[in-house]
Amino acid sequence: MGLHHDILNQPVSELDLRELIAVSPTTTVRDAVSKMRQKKLGCVVVVGEDGKPIGKFTERLLIQLLLDHSDILDHPVGQYTAEVWDMVKNTDPVAKLIDAMEAKKLRFMVVVDQDGKATDLTGQKGLMEYIVDHFPRQVRAQRMATEFFTGEREGG
Amino acid sequence: MTTRRKRRGAEEGEFEDPLKDYSTPTYADETEQRLCEGRVGDLQITPYITVDANQTVEQTLRMMAEKDIAYMMVVDDGRLAGIFSERDVLHKVAEQYQQIKSRPLRDVMTAKPVVVYDSDSPAKALNLMVIGGFRHLPVLNVDDQIVGVLGPRRVTAYLCQQFSKD
Repeated sequence: MGLHHDILNQPVSELDLRELIAVSPTTTVRDAVSKMRQKKLGCVVVVGEDGKPIGKFTERLLIQLLLDHSDILDHPVGQYTAEVWDMVKNTDPVAKLIDAMEAKKLRFMVVVDQDGKATDLTGQKGLMEYIVDHFPRQVRAQRMATEFFTGEREGG
Repeated sequence: MTTRRKRRGAEEGEFEDPLKDYSTPTYADETEQRLCEGRVGDLQITPYITVDANQTVEQTLRMMAEKDIAYMMVVDDGRLAGIFSERDVLHKVAEQYQQIKSRPLRDVMTAKPVVVYDSDSPAKALNLMVIGGFRHLPVLNVDDQIVGVLGPRRVTAYLCQQFSKD
């Protein structure tokens, strides 16, 4: 069984999913940014009282807001979240995720359970890691100088 | 008088020549072979955007928003000096934007980034990204000039494309 078979048959839950950061619409931009930094994630999901996602707040949106508003940090995120959210069920095949991310040039997608409740997050990086896991001998066994690992990552 | 340490053989378990196997490597399929023997330059590494290290933080953010990009390579005297991404905005800029928006990008960029060369194998680049945790990798040529950038989307597209060839 190879990559093609797995992409068509394995569910999204097989990916190494990231823990989703769920915030309420009244959370301030400052608190949302702080949570994103702590979890090293590029977005938070704004959820309603029923746990269903109603919007997203991303690094990209943050840049636009910093440029447009001088005092954005103390405003509630619910005021600015992008309403369109692309979601995938944890039981959907990985192929569906790949198609959606490629077609819409998405960086993140929310993973929902059968009741539509947001449970996890996945994105381009997780997808890349899933595919690379199919070539462990070639990729993971590469010899690398130690200095590579000491280099600074984006964001420090 | 200097006493030279006697070098012991591999049969005693201390030293084993990592290059002792000179046989031609074998691969399960063409994808494996391309990963190990191909070149990073064979992947889609363009387009890419560079920005001068003296540009202000505000100018840079405006450029990122206008061009809808997440990552830029920062150059100084025509050479790669650093990288600047949305993640840098989150960690170093957002909470103090009003105080630092007029400062040069060099103050907040990630300096001396890890790079790959266009002649490196795709497997090495993937190793750096997946094991090393570097989301984006600037790609340089033998003269240390920027020739592209590699990110998760391009890697995923490459692997899916390679698979469809087999």
